[in-house]
Parts: sequence; C-alpha cells; structure tokens
Amino acid sequence: MSSVVTRVVARMLLAPILVVAIAILVKGFADVGDGFSAGVVAALGILLQYVTLGREEVERTLPVRLLPHAAFVALLGALAVALVPLSRGDPILTHSPPAGAEVTTVGKLELMTAVAFDAAVFVLVLGAVVGIVHAVARAYEEMEAT
Amino acid sequence: MSLALPLGLVWAGAAVTALLDGRRRCVAWLAVGVLGAGFVALCVLQAHVLVDGPRTIVAGDWPAGVGIALRADALGVVFAVLSMGVLLAGLAYEVVDDLESRHTPALVLFMGAGLTGVFLTADIFNFYVFFELTMVASYAASTYGGERHQIGAGFIFAIVNLLGTFLFLIGLAAIYTVTGTLDMDGVGFALAQSEPTAVALIGVSVLVAFSIKLGLFPFHFWLPPVYVGATPGVAAMLSGAVANVGSYGLLRFGGDLLPDLFAAGAGVLAVLGSASIVYGAIQAISRRSASEVLAYSAIGQVGYVLIALAVGGPVGYAAAILYAIVNALNKALLFLTARVRGWLVGACFAIGALSVAGVPPSAGFFGKVELFRAGIDARSAVLVALIFLGGALSFVYMFQIYQRDFWRDRHDTSGGRALQVPGVLLALVVLGLGLWPEPLLAVSREAAATLTGGQR
Repeated sequence: MSSVVTRVVARMLLAPILVVAIAILVKGFADVGDGFSAGVVAALGILLQYVTLGREEVERTLPVRLLPHAAFVALLGALAVALVPLSRGDPILTHSPPAGAEVTTVGKLELMTAVAFDAAVFVLVLGAVVGIVHAVARAYEEMEAT
Repeated sequence: MSLALPLGLVWAGAAVTALLDGRRRCVAWLAVGVLGAGFVALCVLQAHVLVDGPRTIVAGDWPAGVGIALRADALGVVFAVLSMGVLLAGLAYEVVDDLESRHTPALVLFMGAGLTGVFLTADIFNFYVFFELTMVASYAASTYGGERHQIGAGFIFAIVNLLGTFLFLIGLAAIYTVTGTLDMDGVGFALAQSEPTAVALIGVSVLVAFSIKLGLFPFHFWLPPVYVGATPGVAAMLSGAVANVGSYGLLRFGGDLLPDLFAAGAGVLAVLGSASIVYGAIQAISRRSASEVLAYSAIGQVGYVLIALAVGGPVGYAAAILYAIVNALNKALLFLTARVRGWLVGACFAIGALSVAGVPPSAGFFGKVELFRAGIDARSAVLVALIFLGGALSFVYMFQIYQRDFWRDRHDTSGGRALQVPGVLLALVVLGLGLWPEPLLAVSREAAATLTGGQR
C-alpha cells in the first residue's frame, strides 16, 4: 500500500483534476479542448485514485461503478444528437440552433446540441476508461489471490 | 431513406444491449432483431444505390471538403450487406446455442456498426475509426467461451492486429501529410500527382495492414489459433464478416486511391497471392480437425482475391469482388455447419465444400469462372494453372473433412434442429447464387465499375 502522504495528495488532487477536465470541455467551444481530451483527463484523475487507494476503497467511496453504464447512456445520447436531424430531413450531426441564430441561455450556459454532443463524448470516454481500469484492477487482484 | 439509418440503428442497438444482460433470451433476440433490421435497411439502400447511383451525405451540412462524408456506392454497399448477413447468421447460431457471456450480443452489434461504418464512409480517418471499432469488438468476441486457449488466441489476435491497424494509421498520417486531405476523392486525386517514393511507402503500409487483417501468407500466423479456438458462430463472423474489411480495404485503397501503384506492384501481389494459395492448401490437407482445415483454407482462399487484384482492370476487380463475396459466404456456411450433425447439415456442408472447390451448382463455381476469365484476360498460363491446382487441392481437403467427420457419426443429431437453421439458410443462398448467378455477377461488375471510373 502507498504511504499516507501519497494517499492524501491523491485524494486532494481529485477535485482540481475534475475541474480542469470540465474547463477543457467548456473551453473547447472557444479555445483548444474538447470532450475527448476532457474525458481522458478526468479518467486519469480516477486512475490516480485506483493506483494509490486500491480498487475496493475507491469503489466504496466514489460512484465509479456507475460510470461504465453512464458511458453507454452517453453513447445513446451522442447518437441521438447525430441522428435526430434526419427526422427533419437534415444531414446527420446538423446542430441547432444554426450559426447566427439566437441561443437560449440558462444563466451563462448556452443551450446548443453541439455542447450536448461533446458532454456525451466526455462521459463516454471517462466511463470507458474507468471500466477498463476496473477490469484490469480486478484481474490483477485475482492473479494475486491465486 | 437516409444512408446513415442502418449505421445509427445498429450502433444505438449496440449501446442499448450493452446495458442489458445478453444471456437473457429476450435481449439476445433483440440483438438479432436489430441486426436483422440493419440488414434489411442495407438491402433497401443497396437497391437504391444500384438503381440511382451512389449517395453521399456530409455531416452537419458543411461544405464538401470540410464536412465528413458518408457515401454509399456499389462497392461499399455490397460488402456491407454481405457482412451484416453473415453477422446475423453467426449471432443467430450462437443465440440458439445458448449464450454464456452477457457481452456477446452487444459486441456483435458493435462489430456490425463498425463494419457498416467502414463500408459506408468516404473519409479515410473515419475508415480507421470504424475499422478499430470493429476490431476491438472482435478481439473481445474472439475470447467468447473463456477457455485458456481461447484467451491466449484472442491475445495474439489483438496484439498482431493492433500492430496492423497501427501501421494503417501511420499510412493514413503519411497520406494526410502528402495530400493535406482525408476525403477519399481528394486523396485519390492528390496521390496521383504526388512524389512516387512517398506514395510507394504509403501503399506498402496499407497493403501490409490489410494483409494482416486478411491473414495472407506470410502475415497469417495469428489466424489458425483464433479460428480453431473460437466457437462456430464467432469463427463464421470473423472469417465471413470481419475479414471483409481486408478485401474491401485492398480494393478501396488499392483500386480506388492508389491505382497506379497497384498496377506497378501487380507482380508482388501475384506472388503473395500464389504463396497464400499453395501454403494454405498444403497446410489444410495435412490437418486433421475440421476447424484447423477451415482456418488454413481461409488463408488459401484469400490468395485468389489477391491474384484477381493483381490482374486489375474491370475484369480483375470484378473477379476479386465476386470471389470475396463467395468466399465469405462459403466460410460462414462451413464454420456454422462443421460442428452440427445430421443428414441435412451434412448436405449443407457438402454444398459449402463444393463451393470452395468451385464445382457447380454452387456460387463458388462462378467465383472460379471469373478468376479463370481474369487469368485469361491477363494472358497468364501460370495463373490459370495455379487456380486449377488450388481448386483441386481444396477439393481434396474439403472432402477429407466430409469423409472424416460426417460419414463417421451420421446419426448424431446433437444441437437440435434450430441450430441447423442458419447453416441451411446460408447453404440455400450459396446454392441459389450458383443456380441463378446473374444478380451476383451484375452486382460485382457494378461494384468494380466504381473502381475503374465506370469502365466495364
């Protein structure tokens, strides 16, 4: 097991890493960044927890076991964003509102299908990586046990 | 009907079944239903494409060259229909045989989505993404059964094929560096005016990548353990559906994007193809178990596709497409019938065996006829002799299996009647295409015409 210092630091780093990930996701609409890289950064934060705290403790304290399921739901969401325009006769992935149109806002958040798509990609990447980390960690434990 | 519909349907179905337990009958049959719906949608799309010509949609309504395009042309759509049909038969077989893994239906649907994407994209990077989606799902599916040797074979499969797709990705990066575009039309146009050395390097990396996927000699070494270890349904899907990516990739990248290079390297293709035919046939004759014979036979049979590609031109490409279709159907039929017993399955296996050997009345006969035509078109006596020799050898090894397995325990009808249905249906398709080959010949000529700029 890792020392107290690494465990505490790993715990403290999780929140900032997730904030950075969200920042990369949001920034993607004006600057460098997107849902994919944000998902990878967030997944690295979770991986850090697995490495320092061990699988059991992470899965007891954080809702990470839901993430792989969330990934498939997110995939469905992304596919819906891609395919729903077909019902209006537009090509796939036609985003609304179109360029130049008025955007509905909730506070400072602008509601656009492009944001929904990128958020879905974020959850998909995060969930897929966490699922792989879980599988590898469990296989490793089984190997240690035998 | 939009050409994105089959892709989206199967993909969404994959995401839904991934959340459910695939061991439950209703979930498994839901997956079969989604694949069936995708298959029907692709058939409708094929009818539209053959009547009205190719269809393109650009994602997001972006101008051409900026937006990523999906395109259904005669070549892509025929491979999409074929692969989806084989996946459908393979999954139905596994579902009837009782699924032991909760992930298998979802994995097969992901394979279906990946394959549809590969065959219907007009963007080389999306081709890679869908290729990788198909492959990752097949790595996982190939370990179905969970035995030690299956996981070992799946591991080799994954490592070797990851090297292959990595090489392909390097090739794509090189294409982008040379041409500055990822759109297939633009790439083909720009490569024709690029520096020959760079184009040659790109061509080699793409050829090796797809040869690994097809299991051509000398890149075949991963293939026998995977096909032997896999359950019949999975082996049918790998050899009859996933392997089509290799044939299609060679046709699309070789015939469509790098035609000059393929014409210049025809000698290399012919040598590789001939080596595959002879090596696969000799190894198959020396093997005892049915699945091993079929695995080596798969290595031999793809050699024919390669020599037809080496001949090139309308006749050669049409022969390559026709043979790739017939070979995929044969392999799926043989894998699905090899482990079931009973007189009906025995007859179906015999039809598959005749088709591999190229004996009428089976679709394989016309595969061989077109190859002979290509050989004569290229005025090569060696090629014609090789096709004849390969056919004779395959006759020997196919009937060795028939004699050893089906004549020995003919009263054992293990697995029940329902397990025979997918094999029987495929046998009817092979037999039907052998008795009435005009549609198949017309479709393969139409598909070849997309590679030769309309020339027939």
